[in-house]
Amino acid sequence: MAPSATEPSPAIDAREVTKTFRSGWLRRRETAALRGASLTVERGAIFGLLGPNGAGKTTLLSILATLLVPDGGRVRVLGLDVTRDAAALRRRINMASGRPSFLWSLRVEEIIAFYGRLYGLSGARLRRRVGALVEQYELVPFRRAQYNELSTGLKQRVALAKALVNDPELLFLDEPTLGLDPDVSGRVRQHITALRREQGMTIVLTTHYMREAEELCDEIGFIKAGRILARGTADGLKRRMGLGDVVALRLEPPRVDWLAEAPGVLRLVERAGWLELTVDEADKRVPELLRALAAEGVEVRNLRVREPELEEVFVELAR
Amino acid sequence: MSWRAEVLAAWAVVLRNAIMGVRNVFFFFELLFWPVVGVLSIGLMTRFLGLSPEQGAFVLVGTIALSVVNVCQLEVAYAMLLDVWSKSVKHQFMAPIGVRHLTIGAWLVGMLRGFVIFVLLAALSAWAFEFPVLAPGPAAVAAFLAGCFLTAWIVGVLVCALVTLFGNRAEAFAWASVNLVLVLAGIYYPVSVLPGPVAALAATIPLTYFLDAYRAHFGFASEFTAPLTTGFALAAVYAVVAHWVFRAAVERARQTGLLLKMSE
Repeated sequence: MAPSATEPSPAIDAREVTKTFRSGWLRRRETAALRGASLTVERGAIFGLLGPNGAGKTTLLSILATLLVPDGGRVRVLGLDVTRDAAALRRRINMASGRPSFLWSLRVEEIIAFYGRLYGLSGARLRRRVGALVEQYELVPFRRAQYNELSTGLKQRVALAKALVNDPELLFLDEPTLGLDPDVSGRVRQHITALRREQGMTIVLTTHYMREAEELCDEIGFIKAGRILARGTADGLKRRMGLGDVVALRLEPPRVDWLAEAPGVLRLVERAGWLELTVDEADKRVPELLRALAAEGVEVRNLRVREPELEEVFVELAR
Repeated sequence: MSWRAEVLAAWAVVLRNAIMGVRNVFFFFELLFWPVVGVLSIGLMTRFLGLSPEQGAFVLVGTIALSVVNVCQLEVAYAMLLDVWSKSVKHQFMAPIGVRHLTIGAWLVGMLRGFVIFVLLAALSAWAFEFPVLAPGPAAVAAFLAGCFLTAWIVGVLVCALVTLFGNRAEAFAWASVNLVLVLAGIYYPVSVLPGPVAALAATIPLTYFLDAYRAHFGFASEFTAPLTTGFALAAVYAVVAHWVFRAAVERARQTGLLLKMSE
């Protein structure tokens, strides 16, 4: 059913998107990067796109950002067709990448101002916008530093400031914390959350860091071999994957052979002196396991129960 | 796109290229060193060979055209090359910018640099070799410079298209292309000395006509009828074609993914 006039279209509505790259002599070698990827992202959401290397994350992001033309499928971003309405769409979106790169001799302020002018800012408005972004991203001491003199973290901040110069409705972040130290990564994540909270911006990000996706994203999509395999909230995905709960035990004696075969135990891994049992249902299995261990005379020195991590969902899906 | 946005986008490129030029260590060599060396060496050679003042003028006009066209086309090519070298191509083409803003912005900077070189070389030629480059008058000088700048724009835009289509591999063309054009256009000789098929090729190059028209002011019989009209007409056609080719190259790069590859 078509959306009504009052109902805004989703920020992203991509259906059955395909993209094949051709290379080599006479362009005969074909690599299918996207094989019918479909994705919907609601306005105001932070959406995380996860997947192994070569899964098609950057290709999909680039199509959504009008940098690549899809071979097939239908892609609408902010209600506009990414191919037909690309020029109009570019005014309303922006992107920052985890491997930022700008003209080496330009100063921080000059980089932001250059892109600001491309988006129609000039005079006092441009100066105010550049000044505000320089301040917001703590670049004041470096405003006159040339880009090639900046550290990786500062370059990342310049990339984020540039990406916000046109106050985009939709922001693409391609691995925004790649290579940053934990302190700077944390601050970048705070900025991302603030953008959504204060400006209602829709954000689509790719990341390799599961904790980052879990912390930031309302929804996560797993992409593999050019298809979105699963999507949902982090908790929803864990439940849907049926990975169960993880029960970590420290025992004396430390090894108990029959535990792997105990009822409800899906997997057993030994890690740094702990036995990690993935069980179907912790509430039911923990008492059973404790009774069985006590009956065998095994002492339980420590016990922890946790939900599976997103990384485990990722590993399961990437198999 | 409104006129204001059009002007702002081109102005952004003007400022960017101008700043990059000023901070570029090679700027000095491009702007001063090579052009001055060129005029001095060619001027001295004309003395050694005992050429008449008219023959010397013929050769020096070609030398000055070489420097002006070369510097201006390089600047136009920088519209794309700067982003290729800095791997920031994707940021540029994600923004609402068209190839017209890129090339016109870079061309404006190129024309300024070309004009500075022309004035400098004209002064040097007059001082060192008593060759009055500006003698034909402001209208003739303006037409000659306009012809050189148009030729530079066409070559520069085609270099941008090649770099967009083939990446860094096409970069060498940026450095070599202008020399090929100038050899064909009769930089140090009249095109009538070229072998038949090559002379026919020379007749398809606008610069051939602009050199011919300017040299006519120094007493050399023009080889073409209405050289300026022909030159500008040809340049207009090539300018449209070059613009279209660059636009098509960017669209092609959006399809092949080269736009992204050049950003990694």
